[in-house]
Amino acid sequence: MKLTIGYLYGDCMNIYGDRGNIIALQKRAQWRGIGVEVKNISLKDKLKAGEVDLFFFGGGQDQAQALVAKDLEESGKGKIIKEEIERGVPLLSICGGYQLLGEYYKPHDGPKLPGVNLFPVYTVASYDRMIGNIIVKLTDQLIVGFENHSGKTYLKEGGQPLGKVIKGFGNNGEDHTEGCIYKNAVGCYMHGSLLPKNPQFTDWFIQKVLDIKYGKKIKLSPLDDDLEIKAYQTAISRFG
Amino acid sequence: MQARKILALTVGKLIFKITTILKIGGGSAAPGLYALKIYPDLVSDLASQIPQTIVITGTNGKTTTARMLAHFATSSGLKVIRNSTGSNLERGIASALISCSHLPTGGLKNFDLAIWELDEAAFNQIVPKLKPQIIICLNIFRDQLDRYGEVDSIVKKWCQTLKNMPPNTTLFLNGDDHKLLSLKKCFKGPVFTFGVENYKIRGEEHFKKVGQEKLDLEALNVTLLGLDGVKFELKESDGLWDFLLPLPGIYHIYDFLAAYVAASKLGIEKKVIIQALKSFSPAFGRVEKFTLPPPGWRHKNEGGYILLIKNPTGATQVFETLKGELKPEDRLLIALNDNLADGTDVSWIWDADFELLQNSPRAGSRDFLIFASGTRASDLALRLKYAGFKPEAILVENNLKKALQQATEGLKGRLFILPTYTAMLGIQKILVQQGLKKHYWKED
Repeated sequence: MKLTIGYLYGDCMNIYGDRGNIIALQKRAQWRGIGVEVKNISLKDKLKAGEVDLFFFGGGQDQAQALVAKDLEESGKGKIIKEEIERGVPLLSICGGYQLLGEYYKPHDGPKLPGVNLFPVYTVASYDRMIGNIIVKLTDQLIVGFENHSGKTYLKEGGQPLGKVIKGFGNNGEDHTEGCIYKNAVGCYMHGSLLPKNPQFTDWFIQKVLDIKYGKKIKLSPLDDDLEIKAYQTAISRFG
Repeated sequence: MQARKILALTVGKLIFKITTILKIGGGSAAPGLYALKIYPDLVSDLASQIPQTIVITGTNGKTTTARMLAHFATSSGLKVIRNSTGSNLERGIASALISCSHLPTGGLKNFDLAIWELDEAAFNQIVPKLKPQIIICLNIFRDQLDRYGEVDSIVKKWCQTLKNMPPNTTLFLNGDDHKLLSLKKCFKGPVFTFGVENYKIRGEEHFKKVGQEKLDLEALNVTLLGLDGVKFELKESDGLWDFLLPLPGIYHIYDFLAAYVAASKLGIEKKVIIQALKSFSPAFGRVEKFTLPPPGWRHKNEGGYILLIKNPTGATQVFETLKGELKPEDRLLIALNDNLADGTDVSWIWDADFELLQNSPRAGSRDFLIFASGTRASDLALRLKYAGFKPEAILVENNLKKALQQATEGLKGRLFILPTYTAMLGIQKILVQQGLKKHYWKED
């Protein structure tokens, strides 16, 4: 078995340890004998449907974000990513990446940056900086991370949040929602890095990849998650 | 106003005495903090008496640079005042000024030179008050962004501050940090760039230079000498000069160059600098060597080293340096705290290349022990696991004292302690209690 991770704009969109998510996906697949290739896909690069089994898109600074928004549209990658998500390819996007996959991002000054329209959300720059440790309740688990954003994201009608904020700000600090989930694509504000400390969430992505790619249920073998669980529990008890 | 000033100085000096007597720190912040509440103009008032002022800012290397520059200056006979304990906010500067001033006038007449290291964000408020003759910008990396905001916005604010500086100030820039080069156009006075041949710094990595613009001074023919230091040459108008820096790693060359260009501007001779380098000891916690443990232990060991790690770039540079050094009998103790001074966000550990330690060529086959400590020891342990260390070789102990004890027990080689800022202060305290080190504020 093999899995190809498409690391979107990793050279300009990597902040607050987002790279750790790639490391976590890679290691947890490799420990189970699944081969992993990380494909860096950045400005001006071409993307073909079917060449990536899972996308990752991290956060970035404002300047980089404007360049990336333009490239998503001009290179046609935004459209292909959207089509891939429609057929079930999993994606994890965080902060800036999440914002650019929504409908638009409205900065303080300057025109709206159009998004990929994948998530039914829009983001407006605010003067509040939402910083701190964050705990979010999904249907079957709690996940923990660190958020740091001033953009406020709002779900449109029919938009499904990733989870409910237990501690922290989440999408906008107002409606207790955090992130958005559409098919197997997830957008959220959780840095930290998110995946290493939430191994069950990491495995959810790997499981989805195998389901979609091989078209049958392949059971993931269990791993020794002693250190992961300790780090997760410490974080939950420290911030909860 | 005079009455307020005297009151502020008296209160400051009193707090200084109390903290020293009670041994609750060296009075590096509290005296200034309270004195400033009484007399907010304290810093500009007192600092204006000193004929020359140099400020140093940047993410990494401020303390080492300031310490080196002060060493060069005192070696040439100048009397120097500085915030020597890395207390680099306004209160730290105020504290240093208070402790050196005379009552009732607040006189500081006998000083020739002030060297202030400034926090990246505090720089913008303090520089207009200090009116320095020389400004040094060392680098700008991601560090504690939860406190400062983004790197780009820090540079923008520096640009604004520099725009308002008079042209008789000299600006020294690390020309290998491309983000800093943009500051050239913000400043109307003379700008001087320094760097290292064949290196440039982009974001968080060193890259080979491609078509880089010409810098005013470059370190040439760099040879790394392991933990002992680094050798290089400088081409000056009077010929090629050899330098031996007793600090390891390329990153310390930048600190030296910054100290060197500022010292040269002050008229300090190269011969004095070369001589002074021989007796230079690094700032506390920056590649500091100490003896460990006290006599009476079963095994003889080769001592300990403390190397501060506080952000991805700095940590990766430390790992680069250690990579070729680690021997099978050596041990590592890494301590990660998430207090305000460390940054409450520990996600940076995922941007630092811990993999380098695991790939260390000499350490490959050893029975290797790595101790994870500090308030976020479990996050650190996880990072080490994903960097390739075997989980059974990672020992987690939040308590620094216990971790240090475990790490020294049965140690035959060297112990490398890699702490974040507040963890470093904790380690220092423990070593002082055990009689292995002096208090940091008694150093110098």
